[in-house]
Order: sequence, then C-alpha cells, then structure tokens
Amino acid sequence: MKRKFPILILFTLILSIFLTACGGGSGQESSSEPTNDDSNTNSSGNGSNVELDFWYIDPGEKEQVYLEAVARFEENNPGVTVNSLRIPNDDYKQRMVVAMSGGNPPDAFVSWGGSWLQEFADAGQVLELNDTDIDFDLYLETALNNATFDEKIYGLPLGISQTLFWYNKELFAEHGLEAPETYEELLHVIDVLNENNIIPITLANQTKWPGAYYLMYFADRLGGEELFLSAYNREGKGFDDAAYVRAGEYIQELVDRNAFNPGFNGVPYDAGQGRQLMYSGQSAMMLMSTAFINNIRQEAPDFEEKVDFFPFPTLPDGNGDPTNLGGATSPVWSAYSQTEHPELVIELLKELGSVETATEYENRTGATSGLKNIETDDVFVQKFAEVAANANDIHMPYDQTLPPALAELHKDTTQELLGKTMTPEEAAEKMEQKAKEVLE
Amino acid sequence: MKTALNQDTVISPVVNKDKRKKAKTILLFVLPALLVYSVFILYPIIATFNYSMYDWNGVQAHKEFIGLANYASLFADATFWQALKNNMLLVLVSVFIQIPLGLVMALVLFSPVMGKKFLNVIFFLPYLMSTVAIGLLWIFMYDPINGPVNQLVQMFGFNSVPWLADKNTAMIAILIVVVWQFSPFYMILFKAAMVGIPDELYEAASIDGANGTQKFYYITLPALIPTVVTSSILAIVGSLKAFDIFYIMTGGGPGGATEILGTYMYKQGFIHFSMGYASTIAAVMFLIAFVCVVIIQIIEHQRKKRGLFT
Repeated sequence: MKRKFPILILFTLILSIFLTACGGGSGQESSSEPTNDDSNTNSSGNGSNVELDFWYIDPGEKEQVYLEAVARFEENNPGVTVNSLRIPNDDYKQRMVVAMSGGNPPDAFVSWGGSWLQEFADAGQVLELNDTDIDFDLYLETALNNATFDEKIYGLPLGISQTLFWYNKELFAEHGLEAPETYEELLHVIDVLNENNIIPITLANQTKWPGAYYLMYFADRLGGEELFLSAYNREGKGFDDAAYVRAGEYIQELVDRNAFNPGFNGVPYDAGQGRQLMYSGQSAMMLMSTAFINNIRQEAPDFEEKVDFFPFPTLPDGNGDPTNLGGATSPVWSAYSQTEHPELVIELLKELGSVETATEYENRTGATSGLKNIETDDVFVQKFAEVAANANDIHMPYDQTLPPALAELHKDTTQELLGKTMTPEEAAEKMEQKAKEVLE
Repeated sequence: MKTALNQDTVISPVVNKDKRKKAKTILLFVLPALLVYSVFILYPIIATFNYSMYDWNGVQAHKEFIGLANYASLFADATFWQALKNNMLLVLVSVFIQIPLGLVMALVLFSPVMGKKFLNVIFFLPYLMSTVAIGLLWIFMYDPINGPVNQLVQMFGFNSVPWLADKNTAMIAILIVVVWQFSPFYMILFKAAMVGIPDELYEAASIDGANGTQKFYYITLPALIPTVVTSSILAIVGSLKAFDIFYIMTGGGPGGATEILGTYMYKQGFIHFSMGYASTIAAVMFLIAFVCVVIIQIIEHQRKKRGLFT
C-alpha cells in the first residue's frame, strides 16, 4: 500500500505535464488550420472547401427563414459550407461564453445586441463591421444603435420587437370597455374587470423580464428617454431619481389594485401558464413584446381575431413623450473577430440581414424587422411597423443595455417591488449604489 | 512511466522482481481509470482553485491575479450566506426527511401489504423522471390559479397560496419536490440492504418473543446503519451541489429566497461574467462538501472501532 503512493504521485505529476502540454498544443493547432484549408483548395475559383460555423437560437419558421438565407449564401459562394447549429435559448449564453473563452467560437452568431454583445466586443472577440461594404442605411437607427458601442458597429439587427399592451377585444366589448389611453382609464378597466371576476392583467414574472417592462415603461413615461440614458451614462441623473421611485410606486399601486394574476412572481413565461390565462379568457390584458403574436399563431390560432393591442397608457404626471415605445432587437447577427475568413463571414452576415431575408422574416414570422421600409402582407406586422415609425424613441430593455451585474439587480429589485418585499425607495437606492460601483 | 518505475526502485532498492512486476500490473490496471479521473475530476478541481484567485470575466484571455480577494468579498456577500443557509436547510431536509422516508417506504415494501409490486412502481416512479420534467410538472402543480395543489387547498376552504411566488413558501415548495424526487433512491438502497439481513435473526427473535417494533430496533435498524451512513454522505454532497431543480422552478427567486450555492455560482459565472468569483463559490462548495464527508468518515471510523451496532 505504502509503496503505491510515490508511484501515484509521480503519475499525477506526469499527467499534469501531459495536460498542460495539451493545452498549449491546441492553441497552435487552431492557428495552423488555415494552412490546412489552403492545401485543400480546389481548382474551382475562389471556392475552397471552406466551412463556417453559424449559431442561432430561434426554432420554427424563423429558423427556416435563416436557413434559406444561408442556402442563398452558399449558392452565391460555391465551395463554402455553413454549419448551421440551433442552440436552445436557455443554453445559448452559457455555450457562447464557454466557446469564446475556449477559443473556438462560431464564425457567425446571433445575439440580442446590448450589453451582452458589448461584453464580448470589449474583449475584442467580435468583428467590427464599420469598414466593410455593408449598407448600414438599410437598418433602423434605433435597432442598429443597440449593436453599436463607441461608434463601432458590431452587429446587424434583422429583427426588432416592440412591447405593447395586448388585450382581449371580446372581453372588453362584453364589459363595455375601451382600450385605455391614460392611466386613469387603465385603472377603471382594472376595476371593472376585477368586479367581473376577470384577472385584469396577466404577468408571468418568474423569469423577471416581463415585470421589468413595467418599470421601464413607467420610468420612460415619467422622465422620458433621457432619464435612463442620463442615469446609464452617469450624466446627472441616477437610478435613484425621483422618477424611478415614482415608477416603483405606480407598480405597487397596480399590485394593490389586484391588477395581476395571483402568484405572478412564481409563474415562468416560457412554460405558458400566463399565456393560457389570456387564451382561455380568464385574463384580459398582458404587457408583452410583439413576439406574443407568434405564440398565439402557434398555440391558439383562434385567439388571433380576438386580440389587439394598445400602447402603454400616458401618466398624469408624465413628462416623457407618450409615443415612446419599449422594444428589443433580436436576432442581431455578429461575427467572431478571429475568424479565418472575414470576407466570407461578412457576406454571410449581409445575406442574413438582407432585404430579401427581412421580407421573408416579416411575412412569415409575424415579427417586425430591423430594416427600413420592408413590404409585408401581415396586418399585425403592418400595425407594429406603424407604431414603431410613429415612435419618438424606442428604449431597449435595461437588462440588455446595462452591464450584467446591474441588469440582474434591476430585474431582481423590480421583482421584489412587484412582490412588495421592497419599497420603491429601497429598490432605487440599491440600483444607484450598484450603478456607482459598476458604471463609474 | 519509465521514470516512475525507476524512481520506485531507487526508493526501495530491495524490492524483488516479483514485487516490481506486481506494481507494474497494478499501475497498468489503474492507469485508464486514473487518466479519466485526472482529466475530468482532479484537473478541474485544481483549475477551479486556480481561477478563484483571479479577477476574470471568463471571456477574455486576460486574468488579473488578486489572491484571496475573491474569498474576502464572498464572505462579505449577503447573498452567499443566504444561499449557504438554503443549502444547509436542504441538507437537513435530505438527511432527516428523505432518508427516513426512504426507510419507511422500504419497510412498507417488505411488510405483508397488498399490491406490493404496484406500490414499488409508484414509489420509484419519481426517481425515474428527468429533473427538468419534474420541475415543469411541479410548476404546473403549484400554479396559483389552475394548479391541482391550490385547488386542493381551496377545497379545504383556504385561500390559494402562491407557492413559488411567495418568499416564505417558495423554499418549502421546492423542498417538497426534492423529497418527492429523491426518497425513492434511498428506498432502493435500504431495500438492497434489507435483503442482506439473514432471516435466522428474525426467526431467533420471534422465538425469544420479540414483537415487530423490537425486531426493527434490534435487528433491522442496526443492520442498516452502514447504509444510513452511505445515504447521508450521498444526501449531504448531493444537497450541497444541487442546482437543476432550483434553477428550473424558481431560478433562485423570488428575491433570492431560493438562491442556493449552485444557482448563485451559475449566475456569477454565466450571467454576471465573473468567472473568477464563480470559481470561488465552487471552491467553497467543494471545501464544505469535503469537510462534511471527512467528518462523517471519521465518525464512521470511530463507530466501527467501538464496534457499535455491528
């Protein structure tokens, strides 16, 4: 027994040397790959047996639209194969972090823009697109801004969504209600629905982002888009601004009015119980992104004719522009900075973000594209585009703009505001404290 | 490898050829497992401790060595203590509810009751399901409006409880699921151990006039003590590194009420981009689990030495 130990120890030592050698080797291996590729070059023009990796998230019809764009790219670039890989939403962030730190990320990948992309961009992992022949005028400025950091563009936004109040027209008509334009009208609607035993607003807030819509909208309506930008850029205002405290008070007022389904903080959005309340007529309204129309079409097609939307109501003490919208960009196409074939990857990005792809995207997926002036037959998409075009500003979700730690706190505190385990003052103070730590 | 053997001969020059051959054989047999073990267990553990000394975001190659600063901020982190508290609660529940429940279920299956095969299947079923499925299933069970649990609660005239949304009930709600899921595992362990208890002991006890309770306390329980110890180790270690069911059911919310070390580590590493800090949490988790196992092993060793129950 005793004699085995020295051998074992020696063995572990040898092994660890072996392992470290491996670690060094893999780095060299990847750098030698281009020469490998070159030696494989066929005689057929520029087309060698080049392989590009492309990662995306969306399943279903969106996936088809992307894959068709990839097919067009492959047709235009003979000899290039794109390995398209769909990664489930929940795994995606983790997979990308591991791939990036492991030095083997995909050549082209999807993101939501915002701080998540910025984190990689700041680390020099994302290809800067400024000096390419990409026509950036194709894209909506608000959408493109979400992938632009320090005036460098890192992604092409194919899609943009808006956050709107969805409501059940039938239920509203039944109880003599109209889509509210002001906060008072919204409160009236809530009271009437409550009297009739209908849950006024569905909120599925286990995942925290659906509740965050309220804070962002209230803050935008109260202080305008400058409020967040000023707080984020540390230019005078802070996250403890009176408007943020007031936004928290509004949220808690809605909670006190029984505006939401009971136990909303424990209901995950993806599992679908929240939407079920809407479909079954147990609930009448939901503040949700325009992606909701996709859910409806897949899960309850009959519901589509009953549903309509109205913009977030105006507030009596609001100083913000009432046409302001909340929104998000997705998908945003970006490329890995160390890719071996930057020209080809840029061509791929261009195809994925082309007018043709965007037209297919709008017509087939019920989502608005991040490109300007796309023609579509989809009535809902036309309406979304109209609201977006009339908007003075579209604010992106805080959790995409703020650095991750602060973004998480923003969602946590808003969840606690909704759960009434934190006062608006406490929440605002916590945010500002963290903001000072992270942003300054 | 050659060096290893040469070294060996240097250390003990008297070894005869036979013994050396034996060592070689042992080494060759150990090698494949050792290789896998080193690559997938030893190396990551060492790497974790290494990363925990750095300020590193997990994306960039650049790391800044900060020594034990991560540990200092961890021990000043209120969320960490909350998570640790929840983990400890999970450990207590696992050891003092899951294991006894597993024992009771095993006893039921060994007693002359009707439909034993049926019960066996029913008892074991939860353990066969994947955790993701269980998590989603119970989210629907706990649904505040349409969930069966709340419909039951309402049937008895109480108001429906927002199980997963309330800070006070979320942890309990998940613990119930954990117990439901893992008790069958301990039941299987106990069943296997009970089969090994010789029937003669029970017969002899019957002749001596022992009743069922006495048989349990003087024969079954003592014979099961080694299994209890094994189960406890598994339960403690399993509870300390728990992650999936919490991640799926609440993601650590609401307001950190169900945050455990596993979910907190995940958040730090993959959402906050602080891989160094996440490694610190992982390292502390490892140390706690390690210390727990060592303590149990020492107690077990003492018990064996005193010859209690064996």
